[in-house]
Amino acid sequence: MRTVIKSSTGQLRLNDKSDDFYKLHLKEGIRPDGRMLMEMRPMVLNVGSISTASGSSLVKVGNTTVVCGIKAELTEPNASHPGKGIVVPNVELSPLCSPKFKPGPPCDQAQVVTKFLDNLIQSTNLICLDDLCVENDKLVWILYCDLICIDYDGNIVDASVISLMAALQNVKLPEVKINEECESVEVNLKCTATLKLCSCPVSTTFRVFDRSNIIADPTSMEEELTEGQLTIVTDQQGRIIYMERPGGVTLQEEHVEKCMKRAVIRGAEVQTLYMEVTG
Amino acid sequence: MAGLELISDQGYRIDGRKPTELRQIRCRLGVFTQADGSSYVEQGNTKVLASIYGPHEPSSNMRSKISHDKCIINCEYSQASFSSAERKHRPRGDRKSLDMAAHIKQTFESCIHTTLYPRSQIDIFLQILQSDGSNYCACVNAATLAIVDAGIAMKDYVCACSASLAKGTTLVDINHVEESAGCAELSAAVMPKLNKIVYSELNGRLHEDEIGKVLDSVVLGCNDMFAVMERTVREHVEETVSNFTHS
Repeated sequence: MRTVIKSSTGQLRLNDKSDDFYKLHLKEGIRPDGRMLMEMRPMVLNVGSISTASGSSLVKVGNTTVVCGIKAELTEPNASHPGKGIVVPNVELSPLCSPKFKPGPPCDQAQVVTKFLDNLIQSTNLICLDDLCVENDKLVWILYCDLICIDYDGNIVDASVISLMAALQNVKLPEVKINEECESVEVNLKCTATLKLCSCPVSTTFRVFDRSNIIADPTSMEEELTEGQLTIVTDQQGRIIYMERPGGVTLQEEHVEKCMKRAVIRGAEVQTLYMEVTG
Repeated sequence: MAGLELISDQGYRIDGRKPTELRQIRCRLGVFTQADGSSYVEQGNTKVLASIYGPHEPSSNMRSKISHDKCIINCEYSQASFSSAERKHRPRGDRKSLDMAAHIKQTFESCIHTTLYPRSQIDIFLQILQSDGSNYCACVNAATLAIVDAGIAMKDYVCACSASLAKGTTLVDINHVEESAGCAELSAAVMPKLNKIVYSELNGRLHEDEIGKVLDSVVLGCNDMFAVMERTVREHVEETVSNFTHS
């Protein structure tokens, strides 16, 4: 089935972004790439491929590819939170990944995804920030999490969350001590510890086509055709810990419930993938 | 030399290579779906992604540069902030990146048949994922493969390689440690079949008697690089053709 749709003529029609083309497919209950409405694309996860980073990962969700590299540095803590470490996510959608993005300062979408990750980190307490503190009010770890999209084919949010989590699980921090006598910082690179994560979220994104059809894991073309979005984040126990619905068309309650059920199932699938990769 | 022995008494380099040995090269073509041409090149620990868009209609900020007899080449070089040992605060737009982008642009302006694509624009985007010396060379090699993948007409392959001189021995394809040891560094881009040098840059002081020797080994390194790149392209084409015939 897939090969038929991906034939040269099919590809031509895929590029012509017409609603009718999509509606014809939905009537048959199938999407142009051969998936069912609630079916996710296959995923590939690889960790630790960049040795200059403290932790790194590469995720492919269908064709969408995101590389996440985490650099850990020592810094002075914020005056408002003297005993807490700092985590700074940053998503880059450069013109390299899709002709949609133009060179220059970060586009709106990149900033939205960055903010989403920031909210997720803050509100779900996924990293115990107290663990990142070396000495109260003096020295803490700051984790710069840079996510670079290298191929954009929709659903950047899910791919970003998965790659961020996989990279965080891959982070190894060296042991740091402050020598009281000479007030110098001693870093023991031989003795490293993995980061303790309090929860391990997985996000699942849905989009609404024509007010009534919900599709999971949209591609770039589907994102352009659909209006509303719903992102549900679940943790390792299958609880819903974060939800975002940035406007768009109205959704019925039953639809939301359906999405929640699907998100929980998908969450469990991704958790096993995390386990397989990080061991 | 700054207390660092670049070449051991037995004639081996810090990473165990022989002086004229290249690092392990891995390359792949057609890695992305969105770009018109793309490639991934690994030279030792230097990892580069290249993607090509075009030839397409010039974007609005390029309108002023439109030429009626040739295409515009636009190059953007970006180095991931986690790519080096020290975190980079600006992945692109700093002076070093702009300089690199300009050099790569000039290299390809002389190699692409620009007159075949009048009033159009070709974008070369390069992303360094991990940097371990010879970034320019890895970028040029990656961009060449991506241009081949995009099907844009070139006069010849462009292959780049770098070399340094330590204790009278030339070290080919230098890594970050050798690069930062303070010796002279010569990098060049060569069109191997036409036997022409497209670009060369020398950093640091080198005696004029020795330049010839170093340049020769750079060209040899480029030819080695060419053999690998050509094999990759052939394999890629064979694979693509077999996919066509089986489906």
